[in-house]
Amino acid sequence: MEVKQAILERRSVRRFQERIVKRELLHEMLTAGIWAPSAGNIQPWVFVCVTDPARIHNIQVVSPGMLGNPQALICICSDQHRAFEKAGRGGRILSMFDCAMAAQNILLRAHDLGLATCVIRSFNQAAIRALLGAPEHIQPELLVTIGYPVKKPAKPARREDVIFFERFGNDEEGKKA
Amino acid sequence: MNKENLYGKLFELIGYMLTSARGLIDEPQLYGPFRLMDGVSRLCGYLTEESTEYGDFFDHLKNTIDEKKFVLMTDEEAFVHLLDETVLLYTGKVKELSGS
Repeated sequence: MEVKQAILERRSVRRFQERIVKRELLHEMLTAGIWAPSAGNIQPWVFVCVTDPARIHNIQVVSPGMLGNPQALICICSDQHRAFEKAGRGGRILSMFDCAMAAQNILLRAHDLGLATCVIRSFNQAAIRALLGAPEHIQPELLVTIGYPVKKPAKPARREDVIFFERFGNDEEGKKA
Repeated sequence: MNKENLYGKLFELIGYMLTSARGLIDEPQLYGPFRLMDGVSRLCGYLTEESTEYGDFFDHLKNTIDEKKFVLMTDEEAFVHLLDETVLLYTGKVKELSGS
């Protein structure tokens, strides 16, 4: 699949088929995640992949934004020790950007593999850390739910008036938009 | 659903409400109504399985919410319309029960 096609066709999906996602496909997605860019090549991320239905269920109970019936999920965490050690106080926010870029890689690779995903931030970070058995310096940043879609959501509208050239407010011909 | 299962479901709903309450402090304003609606849908789902005179109503209300709740992401007005629609649905049941 062309990158452009993956970018334009990917959707956030919340209803999944009751169909197992093979481990090898999850590995493909995780590999895409670790190849994301990061500030100073710090690679501050940690990925926890969960496929056990009982564990997914427990995570869902403390994640109000996690809807539907995902068959697997990846919790993208930042390692705050590593982020701080390499980037100082700025490491906190930089590591969040880095995790977001890793998430996008995962979403696009998933789409390429015929899978559907949804990124979630509406969860309780302390509760997720406890459920994953992660230490204090591992900060859950995003959940990516994964499965085969029941149906493809409609194409949502996109804001077109947010692109400028050369100067803020200018269209492509250099005129005030 | 037996009593133990119902308590289990209600226990999960408590988790949803607690984490929603904490999360909503830092989340978009419209997520508040969404979480309440989603909570109603979950509650209706648990109660639909109980054989009561409200069963059909709970089922209908849950389906109405679940069919349309995600319009929040693309059409804010349609979501507000859904809120109005469910309030009227509920009010209709209140009238029916009171015989007025």
